[in-house]
Amino acid sequence: MPDIEPFSPRGMFHEGWTAEVNDYAIACGWALKGKQFIVGDVAGGLFSFEGDTGKIIWKKENTHSGGLLAMAIHPEGEIFATSGQDGNVQICNCHEGKVIKTLDLGKGWVEHLKWSNDGLFLAIASSKKVYVFNEIGEEKWISEDHPSTVSAITWSNKNELATACYGRVTFFDIVNNKTNQKLEWQGSLVSMELSPDGDIVACGSQDNSVHFWRRSTGMDAEMTGYPGKPSHLSFDDSGKLLATSGSERITVWSFIGNGPEGTMPGELCHHTEPISSLAFSNKGMLVASGSRDGSVVASFLKNDGNGDPVGAAFAGDLVEAISWRPDDCALAAVNAKGVVNVWKFKVRTNLFSKGFK
Amino acid sequence: MSIKDKVPVTILTGFLGSGKTTLLNRILSEEHGKRIAVIENEYGEVGIDQGLVINADEEVFEMSNGCICCTVRGDLIRVLGNLMKRRDKFDYVLVETTGLADPGPVAQTFFMDEEISSEFTLDGIVTLVDAAHIDQQLGRSDESSEQVAFADVLVLNKTDLVSDDALDTLESRLRDMNRMTRIIRAENAKVPIETVLNLSAFDLDQILKRRPTFLEPEYPFEWTGVYDLDAGKYELMLEEGPDPEMSLVALVNQGESEEELKDGAESSVRLYAENANTLEPGNTVPYGEHVNLKLEDKGNKSFILNIEKSTKIGLFTQHTAEEFNMKVIKSSENKEIPFNTERFWQAEHEHDDEVGSIAIERFGDVDPEKLNTWMGRLLSEKGVDIFRTKGFISYSGNPRRIVFQGVHMLFTAQPDKEWGNEPRRNQLVFIGRNLNEKEMQEGFDKCLI
Repeated sequence: MPDIEPFSPRGMFHEGWTAEVNDYAIACGWALKGKQFIVGDVAGGLFSFEGDTGKIIWKKENTHSGGLLAMAIHPEGEIFATSGQDGNVQICNCHEGKVIKTLDLGKGWVEHLKWSNDGLFLAIASSKKVYVFNEIGEEKWISEDHPSTVSAITWSNKNELATACYGRVTFFDIVNNKTNQKLEWQGSLVSMELSPDGDIVACGSQDNSVHFWRRSTGMDAEMTGYPGKPSHLSFDDSGKLLATSGSERITVWSFIGNGPEGTMPGELCHHTEPISSLAFSNKGMLVASGSRDGSVVASFLKNDGNGDPVGAAFAGDLVEAISWRPDDCALAAVNAKGVVNVWKFKVRTNLFSKGFK
Repeated sequence: MSIKDKVPVTILTGFLGSGKTTLLNRILSEEHGKRIAVIENEYGEVGIDQGLVINADEEVFEMSNGCICCTVRGDLIRVLGNLMKRRDKFDYVLVETTGLADPGPVAQTFFMDEEISSEFTLDGIVTLVDAAHIDQQLGRSDESSEQVAFADVLVLNKTDLVSDDALDTLESRLRDMNRMTRIIRAENAKVPIETVLNLSAFDLDQILKRRPTFLEPEYPFEWTGVYDLDAGKYELMLEEGPDPEMSLVALVNQGESEEELKDGAESSVRLYAENANTLEPGNTVPYGEHVNLKLEDKGNKSFILNIEKSTKIGLFTQHTAEEFNMKVIKSSENKEIPFNTERFWQAEHEHDDEVGSIAIERFGDVDPEKLNTWMGRLLSEKGVDIFRTKGFISYSGNPRRIVFQGVHMLFTAQPDKEWGNEPRRNQLVFIGRNLNEKEMQEGFDKCLI
């Protein structure tokens, strides 16, 4: 249990609603343009809540035997996919939670799911392989075996998928079945994020560093000095700032000018225990962070990566995931006890003058 | 989170065919009240419904700095990372490795990864060896000697296929390689559950309780008997034993306290270093000299002990008295005089294997800074070859003893219980490959205050 005292929402966070799921909540996301909020728990329970009120719309249990591992909501928000230890992927409809299609990928854990930005493809990572299916569950592409279990996947453009594993990041043109680029680095890459334009590839590494590459120039750099491994990374929507976890501080690298090489990162010290979730708002330079201590903070950042907190709330226990509503007017957090918190996030007029929004 | 709240993890290693799966099945099917999650290597086939069995590909991840000590098992980090979200489902974790696995990265995972070390604690490493084949395996592969070196418990399995003599020889070879380990003989992996689970094997107190002499230096003799003898003539009578001869040092005025026995042992070690005079049966045994008793003849053989005035005689013998049925007999009365006190010593012998253990035991306090510098340098230079480190240190000015433990270059030093009235001392054990005992002892001595 966290050591910090519970507190009421402060600053721009305001009371919204709370709810509970059956077990440790490991995935969440907004559907139907913010009208619905879907939460998955580790035991395979799925719960859909009304975005404004928290009223339960539907729930399902034991969707994946052995447990749920990942969930991804389609960018249009009408369907979503889940995966688990049973080696299956289910594509479901958001309105009722009904399964549209079940994909059986064998016995390995299916740990990562990502819809392409246009929603035409769903990328799936299971053990050393990556699969791409279309919206209706037809297989479109399968990778060869990677050298190790794939640790992260993300789309760099509508046809190009990036995969991270031990020792490398690979870019695949999945329509023409081609390998476009391989970026190698001897280290265990545990997380990966791309800048919105797809040029900067950032990976957290097991050896407590962040490694990044610029695809256009082939230049790479290693940012060391983290006390822990940076499992959580988030780019802002302009690609100027990269927020990283790896300790109780948020370390923010600025890519403005010649940075971040040779620059000091911004540091935000709001939490007493390591960061367990991190997400930039959909628009603007607001970063929300959740910690093992149960606290959630939103910070407004400047170009150099430093910034000030604009709101804080207490989620009760380790914050496993946070998610901004598509309009950024609410923030959801789910925790290790299965508690769901949604706070309204209201911009106060006196903050407009500081340039927010 | 205190160590009590962390989930204990046992690592099960051993070559293919050593009986890991049998032991695993035994543990899982027994009533022990534990809910065990098993992480099995990809080739494992436990096939047991109860419990949480997860298959994982062994993925050994080296870091970009090239340091083998930072090498971890990526698959364990992933699997345990997920398991810790389901703590209500299990209270114990068993990790089974493939036969060729190096135990280093598995153990290091519990030190190196902060998320894992905050939730799990390495309880012990159990290595199974096939008694019939381990001799050959040790000669052929580094992995098998490393698995022996890392073990907190060695299960000497399939003993039914090997003679008792061969088992004794094997056990002493294994003991040479790893002096901290507990060796359990078993047929068909039948061992009591409590000898492999919940060991708190990183707890040196337990090891010392089990084997109080394991930190002791080795002596060229195995036994000492102290005899209270009046003036007169005595015979030292021996029957046939394991050797056609035996070295001996006899000391007059030998005390019986532990301290006096150790003093006597010290003097004897020096005398043993000198060349021995050979004594035929019937010869008189000189005092304070290294002699070699000829014992080739059949039947009883006697040597003479002349006592001018009553004294306590200490006999420091190469083998134990029992092995030769050695007796001291007062000639005038033809009466056996039993010893007042006996003491067994850790016997010195040839070390054939590259892998071995070094123990350092010193009374007094150390300077924490000097020790840190020395350990830092030692582990950075020799960390690759040092598999395990365990021990207690007495820091000057600190009322608590410091518990030390490490895997390769990684080590933790934590304050433990208070010294109280106990004499302050330092006890360290290193298990590794080609370690230089003298150099390490001298290095440590420089840290003493």
